[in-house]
Amino acid sequence: MLDNLVLGFSTALTPENLLWCFVGVLIGTVVGVLPGLGSTTGVAVLLPLTLSLEPVTGLIMLAGIYYGSQYGGTITSVLISTPGEASSVVTTLDGYQMARQGRAGAALAISAIGSFVAAIISLGLLVALAPPFARFALDFGPPEMLAVMILGLATIVSFAGDNRALGLLMALTGLLISTVGVEPGSGTSRFTFHSIYLLGGVPFVEVMIGLFAVGEVLYQIREGAAAPIRAGFRELLISKADLKRSAAPILRGSFLGFLFGILPGAGSTLASFMAYGIEKRVSKRGHEFGTGAIEGVAAPESANNAAANANFVPTLTLGIPGGATTAVLLGAFMINGIQPGPLLFDEQPALVWGLLASFFIGNVILLVLNLPLAPVFAQILRVPYGYMYPMILLTSLVGAYSISNSMYSVWVVLIFGIIGYFMKRLDLPMAPLVLGLVLGPLFEKALVQTSAIGDGNIGIVFTRPLALAVMALAIIQIVAPSLMARLLRRRNSSRARKADQAAEDKTEEHSHG
Amino acid sequence: MSAHIRLHPCKEGVPLKRTRSTVLATTSILALSLAACGGGADSADDSSGSFTPRGDVTMIVPFGAGGGSDRAGRATATMIEAADKDASVNVENREGGSGAVGYSTFLGKNGDAQTLLATETALLALPLSGEVEFDYTDFTPIMKLGDDYTLMIVPADSPYETCTDVVDAAENERITAGISGITGLDNIVFTLTEQETGVEFDRVPFESGGELTAALLGGQIDIASLNPGEIIGQLESGDVKALCAYSEERYSDYEELADIETAKEQGIDVAFAQFRGVLAPGGIADAAKDYWVSTLEKAVGTDEYKTYIEDNYLQANTASGDDFTEYLKGNNELLKQVLEG
Repeated sequence: MLDNLVLGFSTALTPENLLWCFVGVLIGTVVGVLPGLGSTTGVAVLLPLTLSLEPVTGLIMLAGIYYGSQYGGTITSVLISTPGEASSVVTTLDGYQMARQGRAGAALAISAIGSFVAAIISLGLLVALAPPFARFALDFGPPEMLAVMILGLATIVSFAGDNRALGLLMALTGLLISTVGVEPGSGTSRFTFHSIYLLGGVPFVEVMIGLFAVGEVLYQIREGAAAPIRAGFRELLISKADLKRSAAPILRGSFLGFLFGILPGAGSTLASFMAYGIEKRVSKRGHEFGTGAIEGVAAPESANNAAANANFVPTLTLGIPGGATTAVLLGAFMINGIQPGPLLFDEQPALVWGLLASFFIGNVILLVLNLPLAPVFAQILRVPYGYMYPMILLTSLVGAYSISNSMYSVWVVLIFGIIGYFMKRLDLPMAPLVLGLVLGPLFEKALVQTSAIGDGNIGIVFTRPLALAVMALAIIQIVAPSLMARLLRRRNSSRARKADQAAEDKTEEHSHG
Repeated sequence: MSAHIRLHPCKEGVPLKRTRSTVLATTSILALSLAACGGGADSADDSSGSFTPRGDVTMIVPFGAGGGSDRAGRATATMIEAADKDASVNVENREGGSGAVGYSTFLGKNGDAQTLLATETALLALPLSGEVEFDYTDFTPIMKLGDDYTLMIVPADSPYETCTDVVDAAENERITAGISGITGLDNIVFTLTEQETGVEFDRVPFESGGELTAALLGGQIDIASLNPGEIIGQLESGDVKALCAYSEERYSDYEELADIETAKEQGIDVAFAQFRGVLAPGGIADAAKDYWVSTLEKAVGTDEYKTYIEDNYLQANTASGDDFTEYLKGNNELLKQVLEG
């Protein structure tokens, strides 16, 4: 183990690899910031450029883009409520509120610190325990994934906002939109109206850009430009109290993110939503969530970073991609003539350990880069919105076009921009819609597969222990709040009765005395 | 294992040299101006006499970066540049709708001999699904580069040793077969096996070779049919075993695969290949077609071609120009028979 780490660091610390690691995380940050340009697109577009480098150097850079974008995706979520990555959608809920209160600097700083801590924890787990975790992930077959998806959908209740029914309605709308396209089982096309573009379904990245970025701009234009936020220098820095409040959420988010990250397909978006939902439950300040609670930024940001790293567990140990971006990275291995798979660690130790060591280095670079820059980025909010809005619109549309080099994406962004505007006016929560849209295809796939494996019987979810355990969690997630509320009420009322009793006794004593 | 490939990632971008400092400078610029990539090439139709491409040629890949189709497209671009030193080829990924978006874009390039497409079985499977407006006769087949067959794979602890064992077992018990899609090569060979032997496999749909591998290792499915390139890592580590190859002949060029019997040797008369090839748009001048056919004939003689074939465990069965068209015709009939039952 120690030999391997020494080998890894000696590979990663060559001047050339250091340089490209730096370039990678820097580009990753930029890619993360730009809406639409997610890490998958970023890695795919820059992959060809790395072919002129040594394989290990190229992979170090591409991986840097991947985890760097997890840092960058937060910046616009917090500042202008425009998530750069799907996994940062949930960060807008509290991050943007913090920015409106002049605390953007603190929000950005905590997300950098949270991401860093999560990265180090998840990398430690990755280095020490990757093979057993990979075996564990293999036990998650379709029935288990179906249970995980139900658990994911169950979290909607916890961040639906004040009106739970509206939240569920929006999640359902997201699920419905996700049914457009080719059905995974039989290959039948649904709601495609003979358009080849709709065969692939309604792409959620474009929907996200439309709802959040374009929708927000349209809404703000109607509201009349808000005054630029001028925060004092002190407010830009993160306080000790902030750090103290965030410590536990960061740790919980890191471990949760890691667990979700090793499951192929579940990925960092679900991890961030789950972390937020759970934090809202367990936090003493759960009621402050949605109004600018720093825990609401710390937890999901740690979770998505941990999940991004955990995605490398199946990728490196089994040669099975954990998510969309690691799938492209796996392609990069193969273009370089390296065969990913169980023998990778034995056959290419310098490459694998060099890559893993570069993750540590890259994350240190990202922390050093992001922490001092947090207050600087926060200054962007001083730019009058009259200048900012056209910039947001431009980057949104250009970003959308770049996803698949096609105008179809641009139209999706514009249409959902208008939908987003009306949703804002009607006060409909958008996060559940995005979650429904992201989980929809995964949920359906797991459902179809489970039914196929069970020969038409999806009841096997309840006969496999692991699936059953996850289902139990999902059920607890749904019924716990109302159960807790009822218990609390009963306890309160019995306490109140006792208090009344005591008071009565006292008065009786008095009257007697 | 040459990683040094000349690339033109962005036509309008800064010309890319191999020096690393330039790459550094251009990467950051490119990261900021990604959307500047793409765009149409100016057509260089020369109806009289000879044809040579003017400026950059675009190679459309109808699938995402990093996949099998992408690797084929990028390798072909390199081969063409090796075969004609003056040519320069940009790869452009146009993904969506299982390839439908890329092929439909290509249909719009009718007569534009500056554009090529990295083709495979989706060219035939998509039209048979009835969702698209093209079929293979709308394009000009240039060269078939090679065949990718599948191997029937089971987990290492599976009781089966041959494909015949699996077929025999399927007569009495339920065998679950993972497939990567209705028009996937794996579903096609399973269907052919069923038609040949009269047994039935229960399908469980997945979306990629990676997912199928995970399901096999996790014991979620009994069998899968995967390209050698997709499963070689697990084969060499001994986590899975290959029961037979659905190919005409054994993989005798590859030491690590040479011992795998063909399905035919085991008495199941099924072989079906996913081809890889190059298409030009329909309606191009004869001179342009001649240029591309002769350039690709030269390309398959290069070292770059050999590296591509070997790295991806393909069988180097080529067919150029009209021979490729004939092949497509026959393959299309067979596919129709499978998909329409």
